[in-house]
Amino acid sequence: MPEFSKMRKPDVKIVILGDMNVGKTSLLHRYTERKFKDTVSTVGGAFFLKQWGPYNISIWDTAGREQFHGLGSMYCRGAAAVILTYDLTNWHSLAELEERFLSLTDTANHDCIYAIVGNKADLTGNQAQQVAGQDGPTEDQGEGGGVNPPSACPTPPASPVLLSRVTLNKQVSREDAVSLYGRILRYKGMDESNCLPADKMCFETSAKTGYNVDALFETLFDMVLPSILRNRTEREQSPTVDLEDHKETGKRTRARCC
Amino acid sequence: MEIDDNKDNGETEEIISDLVSVDCNLSTGPGSLGPSLSNHLAPDPAGPLVNTTNVMLKAPTNSNPPSDTMAAPVPGAEAAPVPGAEAAPVPGAEAAPVPGAEAAPVPGAEAAPVPVPGAPVPVPRGPLFGAVGATVPGPETQGPQTAPVQMEKETDESSKTECQTNIGGQPEIIPEEPPGENEQDDSGEFVVTMLARGKLQEQGVGVTGGSSPLSAPSEGPSSHRDEDVTAESWRQHRKHVFVLSEAGKPIYSRYGSEEALSSTMGVMMALVSFVQSSDNTIRSVYSDGRTVVFMQKGPLVLVSVSSSRQSEQQLRGELLYVYYQIISMLTQASIARIFKNKKNYDLRRLLAGSEKILDGLLNLVDSDPSFLLAAVHCLPLASSLRDSLSQILQKAITPNLVFSILIANNQLLTIVQEKTVIEDTRLEPADVHLLLNLIGASSAFQAGEIWTPICLPLFNPDCYFYAYISYLDPPECTVCLLLLSTDKEAFYAVADCKRRIEEAMLAQSSLSLIAKARCYSVSQVGVSDLRHFMYKPFDIPDHHKQLTQFTSPEMEAPYSTDEERMRLLDLYRYMHSRIHSTSRPLKLIYHVAEKETMLAWITSKFELYTCFSPLVTKACAINAITKLLRWIKKEEDRLFIRYPPKYSTTPNPSKSSRKSDQQDSIDNGFMSLL
Repeated sequence: MPEFSKMRKPDVKIVILGDMNVGKTSLLHRYTERKFKDTVSTVGGAFFLKQWGPYNISIWDTAGREQFHGLGSMYCRGAAAVILTYDLTNWHSLAELEERFLSLTDTANHDCIYAIVGNKADLTGNQAQQVAGQDGPTEDQGEGGGVNPPSACPTPPASPVLLSRVTLNKQVSREDAVSLYGRILRYKGMDESNCLPADKMCFETSAKTGYNVDALFETLFDMVLPSILRNRTEREQSPTVDLEDHKETGKRTRARCC
Repeated sequence: MEIDDNKDNGETEEIISDLVSVDCNLSTGPGSLGPSLSNHLAPDPAGPLVNTTNVMLKAPTNSNPPSDTMAAPVPGAEAAPVPGAEAAPVPGAEAAPVPGAEAAPVPGAEAAPVPVPGAPVPVPRGPLFGAVGATVPGPETQGPQTAPVQMEKETDESSKTECQTNIGGQPEIIPEEPPGENEQDDSGEFVVTMLARGKLQEQGVGVTGGSSPLSAPSEGPSSHRDEDVTAESWRQHRKHVFVLSEAGKPIYSRYGSEEALSSTMGVMMALVSFVQSSDNTIRSVYSDGRTVVFMQKGPLVLVSVSSSRQSEQQLRGELLYVYYQIISMLTQASIARIFKNKKNYDLRRLLAGSEKILDGLLNLVDSDPSFLLAAVHCLPLASSLRDSLSQILQKAITPNLVFSILIANNQLLTIVQEKTVIEDTRLEPADVHLLLNLIGASSAFQAGEIWTPICLPLFNPDCYFYAYISYLDPPECTVCLLLLSTDKEAFYAVADCKRRIEEAMLAQSSLSLIAKARCYSVSQVGVSDLRHFMYKPFDIPDHHKQLTQFTSPEMEAPYSTDEERMRLLDLYRYMHSRIHSTSRPLKLIYHVAEKETMLAWITSKFELYTCFSPLVTKACAINAITKLLRWIKKEEDRLFIRYPPKYSTTPNPSKSSRKSDQQDSIDNGFMSLL
């Protein structure tokens, strides 16, 4: 039994932030459950554990409502990555990221990774999507910024939306997101040259079709690996005595003796 | 023991006559018409008299038939109050009153939405009082029966809290207007009639009552937000609930979008402040087929417009639940603070996304008798199983944990409380209802572990608890664990408690035992002719510290459809209103309805509502109740949580944890909004 609970101790923390109704819960749901369903407004925050190879990644899906604003800094404490989510069809939701949510990340790790995610890509170019689907997906590959090729995704990847064919629905351009990323780095006092490039950290996704969702999460998981490894070594070298650890080692040695 | 033996075939008649009788009682209360009227006409600046008002609306619908022009705006009523409501709370507007300009056409509407006690608003007062004087026709000019709008007042010392306006601070404003003058009468009547009509039209009050009163529950949680508020179907809803701010800003509407209803809410606020301006409080408006109940709680005004024929008291209780649910999300202190700093704050900003929770609450209020009885329904469980579950909860504790609650299918399995907390106060059924509603209204809880602040308004309306919510049996998601802590940062510690509970329950295979637990059938009682009952005991051991509970069998045929179930609940509501009537409370009622016979009985030890087949005799029913009570006594241990277990998690007594609570609620970000 202690092993059971031990095993579930998270190695690293990722937080999803963003205004209400941008699709934070849907994104996570798409990634973990492989499907899209209507969600209700999240209350407070929801904690999920994701097994990623040998590691446990905890993901906090937070409520976007102003009502729960006060909890944000608690969710962000010690986070290794923050997913700042906005709605591609709602310019205000991008502005809110800077106004309301950026300050919450003050409690995150100093080397925290920031990803800017524009969700609801399906709404911005239904037409474009269909056309692209007929033309073949090849031309779309470079743009999405996904590190993993879509073929690696278990979800059938929908075709990404081309910037050139943006429909009227789209209110936020990729440039806006990229420049927000730059401002975030400056806010954090990070040197842009030492950080991950904006190209890699700005995503456009669709929780509804699954487009780019796996790429987003898996890219981030790969990126927080160093953080995981550091956490593990820190924990091993930690001067504090972990009683559960002690119990376990005790058990193990006993087992070896017998 | 008083036996109300009304065997008339039409309940309708009886209920209507009942309402009338209640009103008569109110109007014949001490110092009714004379003093309060004179108070209206020449308000005594020194003596803030406490008045409550009941308004009877009968005639206006006839004299000005709303008919099919309902969509067309009534110029005075619809348009006028809104700009007033919008502009009034802006400090600039108050400081620079427009002299006289607004007085002529719609005096009441203009001045009414300025409920700023003690604020320097001298000019609008004049015309407002003019309107008041005119709208309350003196008894000498018009008899109460013929008056289009009849305001009934009583001086009620007990409802002192209801009194909002205190004009004692404004001795300089003495309206000089001739009381009971005919011209004034007319214009004033016009104003109120228009207000009332606008309201009636928007509410659908006075519309021919051919609708089924049982439409609400069957509609389910479909999107009522997009409803067309001018449509007939919108008016036909059985029960509307509106929440607005004192500035007349819409906060919540059960059906239709708040934006579309802003003029309706403006009229409501106009009515509230209109009555308020004369040291009075509007409590209800009765019209044919509808009851409108007003309730003001701090800076919020709640209004219920119902054709459900429930008593005013019951509707008021339901509004109180709505208020509590809002408090549970925001806390009373922060709502007060927000509106203190900004009178016309749009509270929807903070409640956005919570509409579903309020919708869910109102659906539950309509369909679940727990709310009516103010008691909690727990799942019948072998006492050994309940004890073992309690012990599991009792062992899995962490500092600052105060309540551990186990729920299955929205029914309580067991509840374990922190010792010092339970000494201080007890968990109120209403708080449990709010928690259960929160869980039920948020399917998002089914995945992952939730950590959210929640206030238990009856426990402490100004502080937050932090609730950990997780289902123990995914993916079925029927058994839910709820752990309440006072520590905002305790998530991981509390989540660890859940692991321990999970492991212990796995070891004892509790989940499969819980899955077998069922609510019981009335046939198990073995009393023929008994169809259904609700029993709420008062004599639980430790009763001072115990959660109020009730027990009730499943609703079976003939109550298997939503409509029939609602009909039975309506009968129960009627019996309940008779038993708890403020004017003529009854101890025992034997009521022969159209399709069943009801018997309700309240003693010092219990409150019991029973439903029999229609042909049962009175002697037979009394006999059956004796059997039923014997059966309940026998099954007591299974039906109720008898001895709520406790644990001790706080090294320091609750005082210190309370303090930290207070801080939490303060640093919860509300200040940053302002």
